Amino acid sequence: MEEMIGGKGRPFEFRQCISILKSTGRKAVNLRQLREIIAAVSDDSIFHHTYQYFLKEHILEYTNDFAQWAGEGLEERALAEQLSNIDPYACGSTPEVRAALVAVIDSYLEGFPEPRDALPGEEFFFNETVTFVFPVGVWAKNLAEFLIALKFIDNGCIYYHFYEARTRVAGGVDDFSRWIEDALLKSELAEKVRAIDPFMHTTKEIREHISEMILEEVNADMERTGVQPC
Amino acid sequence: MLESYRGISPRGDLLLLRKLADHLEGKTFLHINSTREGGGVAEILQRMVPILLGLGIKARWEVIRGDDAFFDMTKKVHNALQGYTEVIDGNMWDHHFKVNEENAASLDLAADAVLVHDPQPVPLVSFRTEGAWIWRCHIDVSNPQEDVFRQIGKYAGKFDAAIYSVSRFAGSMCPNEFILPPSIDPLSNKNKELTDEEIMEAAGRLGVPTDRPVILQVSRFDRFKDPTGVIMAYRMVRKYNDCVLVLAGSPATDDPEGAEVLNEVRDFAADDPDIHILLLPPFSDRDINALQRLSTIILQKSLKEGFGLTVAEGMWKGKPVIGGAAGGIPLQITHGVTGFLVHSIEGTAFRIRQLLNNNEMAVRMGQQAREYVRRNFLITRQVRDYLSVWYTLVSKARGLIEL
Repeated sequence: MEEMIGGKGRPFEFRQCISILKSTGRKAVNLRQLREIIAAVSDDSIFHHTYQYFLKEHILEYTNDFAQWAGEGLEERALAEQLSNIDPYACGSTPEVRAALVAVIDSYLEGFPEPRDALPGEEFFFNETVTFVFPVGVWAKNLAEFLIALKFIDNGCIYYHFYEARTRVAGGVDDFSRWIEDALLKSELAEKVRAIDPFMHTTKEIREHISEMILEEVNADMERTGVQPC
Repeated sequence: MLESYRGISPRGDLLLLRKLADHLEGKTFLHINSTREGGGVAEILQRMVPILLGLGIKARWEVIRGDDAFFDMTKKVHNALQGYTEVIDGNMWDHHFKVNEENAASLDLAADAVLVHDPQPVPLVSFRTEGAWIWRCHIDVSNPQEDVFRQIGKYAGKFDAAIYSVSRFAGSMCPNEFILPPSIDPLSNKNKELTDEEIMEAAGRLGVPTDRPVILQVSRFDRFKDPTGVIMAYRMVRKYNDCVLVLAGSPATDDPEGAEVLNEVRDFAADDPDIHILLLPPFSDRDINALQRLSTIILQKSLKEGFGLTVAEGMWKGKPVIGGAAGGIPLQITHGVTGFLVHSIEGTAFRIRQLLNNNEMAVRMGQQAREYVRRNFLITRQVRDYLSVWYTLVSKARGLIEL
């Protein structure tokens, strides 16, 4: 991705990721089993149930699959809230997310050492993904083109550049703000985009927020150059 | 062919499909199942094979043949895998294998990828020669009868991968197990747009009144679909709301119990003039489409379900759907957002009444349902996923794949 973003004047190439689900064959019936499997399961599985939660359309109440199951499957609402408070993008890496999850569950089990079992069929099933990344054939050379492209790309593009980028690129920033800063030299706008908290929004809302910011910037640029704003 | 889906399917799905097809172009892809008509598997294959051919993949679809004893036995296997108690003795398993052995001798099984659908043709894997073999299990195997599960597992373990519709169906039978929901085709006769005239013509011909709200369930006449429970829920609603119930289904050649259940349902309806039981001939897709579009509420009150594609079909028509919380139905219906999930006859009756009395809610739910199906359950996504699994097996890639 580096070569598609870095460098003054380079166009932004939109890419997208699409995942297919793969079973790990492991399932948890209660909180103790959940804790044991979280501690041992693949990084890919932890990544899927936490980071990739943001690929969903977010009509659910919590912020990762473990919290969702604790709240809805086990009806352990306090634990669900605590697990929801783990921000994978703030943690920085999958092992750190895993450690945070285990710590929260251990602490909860100290207070409530006899957790109930989930009903048959309501167990937690650990999955991972195979993720395909591909260019979508859309480039933007300036903010106006970027704004138009934002309207038409799929949510998978927003996820790839705004969420997944943070796990891929040093510094944990998104691709959009890096391009705005490095290619367009607009540090102030880049900072505004970076200030959007990924943890608090859906991909749909991210699209709307960034579009608003860019529209404002394009209008301001046009006013500066004497062109009638949009 | 793929061009027809532009503006309907998500753009990214079409792009990835094209990229995967570029890698797999000219290769052979064989699908095998046990019926050419009736049921969701046959329906989707009728549409999927032309799409694959249009992508430059040499796709074929073969159907195994069997006698009555074979289909009686495989129906028992189907029931047992879904949790009902069945007795299947050694002779029956031997016959299951023998019928498949005969089919293996008459079918051309040579292909770069072979996708075997459901348990009926699963022993064919014993005769594999080349290519990637994938078992597609469409049914709910979350709580199977153990001995039957083990017997099927002996065959499943010989495949390179298995595909299930829902996570909890995956059973560690195979080294690679994928979770891929099935899909509907928005351009098929069953799902394409119809004019008001076409809808009214079908209603008149099928004798369905359109002067009152219509509650519809479309499914095989199968006890797992709880048709008598639907009638009981309807009778509860009728105490409060004037409406019509339509139960519509087609016979399937691999389901010998269908006629028996249909008779039970007719007896239970007891000549109520507002309950319309329609046994539609195979390929009545356009009529089913019209029935779904003229309905006010669509039900899929299944007790056990593989996935329940009729839910996605109803949602695609912008209708509020009330579904039993079984199999893949909760994956399609987010309770209170894209429909209602129910756990009882009483719950079904209550949700029907709620929707009949709140048109605004019914409209909003229907719109959200349609968009959810567009993003998640269209056929282009399923073809994309099958090619993704095939590509993953061939490339032996894990995690992240750049195309």
